[in-house]
Amino acid sequence: MTVINGKKGQMRIIEAILASFIIVFALSFANIFAMTPTSPKYEATELQKLGYNVLHDLDEQALLARFVYNREWDNITAALRVMLPLDVYFNINVYYLNGTKVNDDAMFYGNVETFATSKNIASVTYGLAGYATKINDTYQAIYEPRTLILQLVRG
Amino acid sequence: MKKLIKHKNGQFVIIAVLMIAIMIISIGALMHRAVTYYKHEPWEEYLTLIGAIELNSRRLVELSLANYTNTDSPDNNTLRINLEKWQTNLTAIYPGYGISLGYSDCFLAYDWNETSSSSSANATFSLNIASIGLTGYKFMAKVFLNLTILNKVDNEINVTVRGEEGIPISSLRNDNFQVSISNSTMILNITSVTSYYEPKEALIYTIKCSENITTPITVRVWDERGIQVRAEYS
Repeated sequence: MTVINGKKGQMRIIEAILASFIIVFALSFANIFAMTPTSPKYEATELQKLGYNVLHDLDEQALLARFVYNREWDNITAALRVMLPLDVYFNINVYYLNGTKVNDDAMFYGNVETFATSKNIASVTYGLAGYATKINDTYQAIYEPRTLILQLVRG
Repeated sequence: MKKLIKHKNGQFVIIAVLMIAIMIISIGALMHRAVTYYKHEPWEEYLTLIGAIELNSRRLVELSLANYTNTDSPDNNTLRINLEKWQTNLTAIYPGYGISLGYSDCFLAYDWNETSSSSSANATFSLNIASIGLTGYKFMAKVFLNLTILNKVDNEINVTVRGEEGIPISSLRNDNFQVSISNSTMILNITSVTSYYEPKEALIYTIKCSENITTPITVRVWDERGIQVRAEYS
């Protein structure tokens, strides 16, 4: 009965409730701005970095130019499938400088619908200057740039 | 109610809670600043972009040298013309970045028909990318290929092939070499090309021909980039 009649702790209870409200408000305020690395806001940038690195690695090994100028489309697809994580879908196209598409065959991996529905599609542009090809025992080294556009999405 | 208002025991708790709230809000603001800074400065992406431009500018110098050494009437302006086109085309390939590529000290040269012959090219670049505030990023593209004929024994010729900074070029095969009798159109049939390591010269190629070789002879080599060097041994 003394517990029920005791009025000294009432203000403490109200204080505690108010305090919990303030703490909850502060935490939710901080949470609005906090973006974890898996947040969709990061996703496109992460995929872009991944795409750039993969194309740059292939180019450093002198494989990318060989694949593009010798029209080895299957090899490009295979190389990207090996170098990209399994859950990353890609679609790559090669263009002349005037914007005309070079590759007749589609080079992609994954579900086409994912590219249409996903909100986080990363697009990477990569430029190549040219490639020396051996034709009839003579080398032809002509400047003819190509633009590669790689689209990435997480499946 | 009056009693509640006049109650003065809870002040310390309120002050403590307010201080905790201020701390949490401050941490929130700091987190926000850190997170947005990271979001707006994707350095890795820019570094790869710079790397891609640098790599392909170097490839262009190699390509120009390959073109220069494989034509019957070599044009010294090949590199300059290609670099001018590359300057213009870069803005079309990477639109919106504000890329400006300058070049200087560019040349193509060869010194052939000696026992030790070489082909070389050079260009110094200066890259600006307005969108990230990058100005005056300088890099150099030096391309070099040397062919040295060491000796000739019966139907075998020993040669060394070196690239930039004297690094031996490996993995050359039969179709990378050509042996002919100097001042003649006669091309000798190469039966095999083998290589071995030697302490002084590092990597020596032995070109074995199907018949005995009479001097003077001309040896040509094309590396994987298509750059040619022609050396003569008498």
